[in-house]
Amino acid sequence: MLDKLMNIDRRIVFILVALAVIIPTKLSVNLPVSVSEPTQKLYDYIDDLPAGATIMIAFDYGPASLPELHPMARAVLKQCFEKNIRVIGLTLAADAPTLANTLMEEVAEENEAMVGEDYVFLGYRPGGTLVILGMGNSIASVFDSDYSGTALAEIPMMENIKNYDQISLLLDLASGSTTEGWITYANAQYDLRIASGVTGVLISQMYPFLQTGQLVGLIAGISGAAEYEDLIDTPAKAMKWINIESFVHLLIVGLVILGNIAFFIRNRQEE
Amino acid sequence: MRRQVPLVLCFFFGVTIILTRFSPHPFSQSFYEEVNSWALIIFPFAFVLATVTLIRSHVTRIRRRSEHWQYSFIVFAGLIAMVVIGVPFGPQHPVFEWLFNNIQVPMDATMFSLLAFFIASAAYRAFRARTFEATLLLVTAIIVMIGNVPIGDLIWSETSSVKQWILNNPNLSARRGIILGVSLGVISQSIRIILGIERSYLGGGD
Amino acid sequence: MSKTIQCVVVCLVLCVSLAFSQGLSPPSNVTAMDTPNDDGSSVTIKWDAAPEDSGISGYQILRRIAGGGLEEIGEMLPAGATSYVDATIEKGNAYAYIVRAVSDAEATVDSNETAPAKGTGEWFHTGKIPLFIAMLLFGAVIVWNIYYARSGKEVFVRRIPGLEAVDEAIGRATEMGRSILYSLGLGRVDEVPTIASMTILGQVARRTADYETPLRVPCRDPIVMNVVREVVRTAYLDEGRPDVYNEENVFFVTESQFAYAAGVDGIMIREKPAAIFLQGQFFAESLILAETGNSIGAIQIAGTDSEHQLPFFIAACDYTLIGEELYAASAYLSREPMLLGSLRGQDWGKVLIFITMILGVVLELSGVNWITTLLQRVN
Repeated sequence: MLDKLMNIDRRIVFILVALAVIIPTKLSVNLPVSVSEPTQKLYDYIDDLPAGATIMIAFDYGPASLPELHPMARAVLKQCFEKNIRVIGLTLAADAPTLANTLMEEVAEENEAMVGEDYVFLGYRPGGTLVILGMGNSIASVFDSDYSGTALAEIPMMENIKNYDQISLLLDLASGSTTEGWITYANAQYDLRIASGVTGVLISQMYPFLQTGQLVGLIAGISGAAEYEDLIDTPAKAMKWINIESFVHLLIVGLVILGNIAFFIRNRQEE
Repeated sequence: MRRQVPLVLCFFFGVTIILTRFSPHPFSQSFYEEVNSWALIIFPFAFVLATVTLIRSHVTRIRRRSEHWQYSFIVFAGLIAMVVIGVPFGPQHPVFEWLFNNIQVPMDATMFSLLAFFIASAAYRAFRARTFEATLLLVTAIIVMIGNVPIGDLIWSETSSVKQWILNNPNLSARRGIILGVSLGVISQSIRIILGIERSYLGGGD
Repeated sequence: MSKTIQCVVVCLVLCVSLAFSQGLSPPSNVTAMDTPNDDGSSVTIKWDAAPEDSGISGYQILRRIAGGGLEEIGEMLPAGATSYVDATIEKGNAYAYIVRAVSDAEATVDSNETAPAKGTGEWFHTGKIPLFIAMLLFGAVIVWNIYYARSGKEVFVRRIPGLEAVDEAIGRATEMGRSILYSLGLGRVDEVPTIASMTILGQVARRTADYETPLRVPCRDPIVMNVVREVVRTAYLDEGRPDVYNEENVFFVTESQFAYAAGVDGIMIREKPAAIFLQGQFFAESLILAETGNSIGAIQIAGTDSEHQLPFFIAACDYTLIGEELYAASAYLSREPMLLGSLRGQDWGKVLIFITMILGVVLELSGVNWITTLLQRVN
């Protein structure tokens, strides 16, 4: 029995996880969210920007991380459009343009923002760090047109935007190491202010940059997204999912404790 | 000669690109931009290379009737469908978007969601209080896991503050140590590559 | 007669502007000069701060190209501003500037016109001198240590269990008659961990060539795949076994992160390799790969500098190379003096950083903060 508790078949663990996800979706649980400091910092930074300022959002994630990062993007875009802050979207991930463009169009429509005036989506260029570096000198040298093919010179909001000097913030929504790239190349070399929104597994990696001030703020995983939704007073998917996630975390903690109790009892018996 | 040319190129561009970072003069900046543009050009070629390699490897699988060779037809079906719609009509074509949103997005999300299951099974197996250090790790992990979700503060109102302290202090110190080591390792590795001491990327040791 | 009219008009204009600018004093000590440490695309204008009760609510910068008219540039600057960088100049032209102080009532008063200034690009960024010296110092330390090791002096390298286990893993696969799976992760060819991983792969390939153990390398990047083919082929050639090399065993899977994870997982489940190497740059797919490898009972040796993925590898793999151990692998496995020397140099670098940190903390605690200031300047 003790051995069984110590070595539960992984398939049983999988079934328990599935149940811990499915059952709470059927219950309406609404747990209060407390806003963490890194999320608050980003919100305040954008909130303090004057109307007409421009920020960049790098959608550096593919479809896999969409459930975790799309709510962040949606919340920040809404905040920007409501405050008349212009947004330049782009991506370093080959499989992101369609999803990023669709999201920008959706949120823009909901908030009556106009393409070319309030926002523009530049699309994707391969090259990663080279793209980041290239835009430091001239955005048009890397993206000569936007995602729909309109030349940058013909886009009204890009008229006075040449490079990072005219950008107030870059928010990197990332499922990989792109934030480090933006910090190393765009922040260190061109003084561009950087903020980040990352998936759960990358959260702890971002803390050194937060402490040094290289990151203006951080949206940490789905919990960060829920906090941001709370800040803009628009509860949406992240708020729902973070409640579900609570149960999965509880389950994992329960399993770990169970395994350790069995381990402890068996050790005592052996002694 | 086959080795010397890339080694010389690597040395030349390695050193000059480092120097351009210290020189704001227009000449060095335009040189830097030029090299950047050349490097950027290489990446689209990689996609062509990828497609060719993919086709070759799956044709070989079908020809040799390797195990599960039938799946290679699905690869070709997907490839042809996306190219036929994506290349002439662009990625904003409704059919392309439909395929992307209804096939690629759910399939990718499925793979990512496996992580939840694997984290559960790996955590259950790995977190055992075998030693003092392992016990410390176990307790810390539980606090961070619970502190990351709203239920943590319901159990104990200070959970998220303790979690934040763990992330800001012990986590950060350990991570900085690793980052410093890794950064020095990267610098040292880069010097080895620029000086031609490390040549593995040219295929082979010597 | 006309001269008299002109004089009256000028006097009137002067009186009106004086009335409007009453209480406003013009910005003083206005200078325009080439912005230091730039590419010559800007000129910096500086002036003295106005007293708080000056009534100035902002400044407008005006400029004039030699022989041309005055033009306003940029937006209105706040009252506290004392400098402005004009980055809209055309290279080669000299510009003279005027700083116009503006009051709340929109009264204005102009400063004297500055001497014309041109933008000139500098060859060396003086603000980066400390960084340049640090770079030279660290480079010199490494090069010196390489020569030290080359001179035949022994270099001690501590035991790295993950690398010691390479032979064990290959031996086990050979005994079981199963293949070895080697993943270089998601890194591209220009990323250092990928290059480090190629070095380890070269050493693994040499050993598998001897034992004729199949070595399967699924790649995520086509350029990496081509380089890896060359690495493996050369290793087999060096071991005198080109006949065992099979190009098809190094193959491209997909660029997509999770499709790659699915592909590699599929290979693990179908082929059940006895040993799995996960070396390079990994992200969220790390645990998906490592747990699948664990479920098929393979001996797993992981190594990454992506420190956020280390916990997953440590939980699911038998051995894990942590951070810089990945970079030490080539020196450790090949025992090449030049590589060992660079490792020693790296350690010296660490010692230098430790000394700076300790000194910085001690000085900061004693109220001396020049080290902190210096490092902030470098940043």
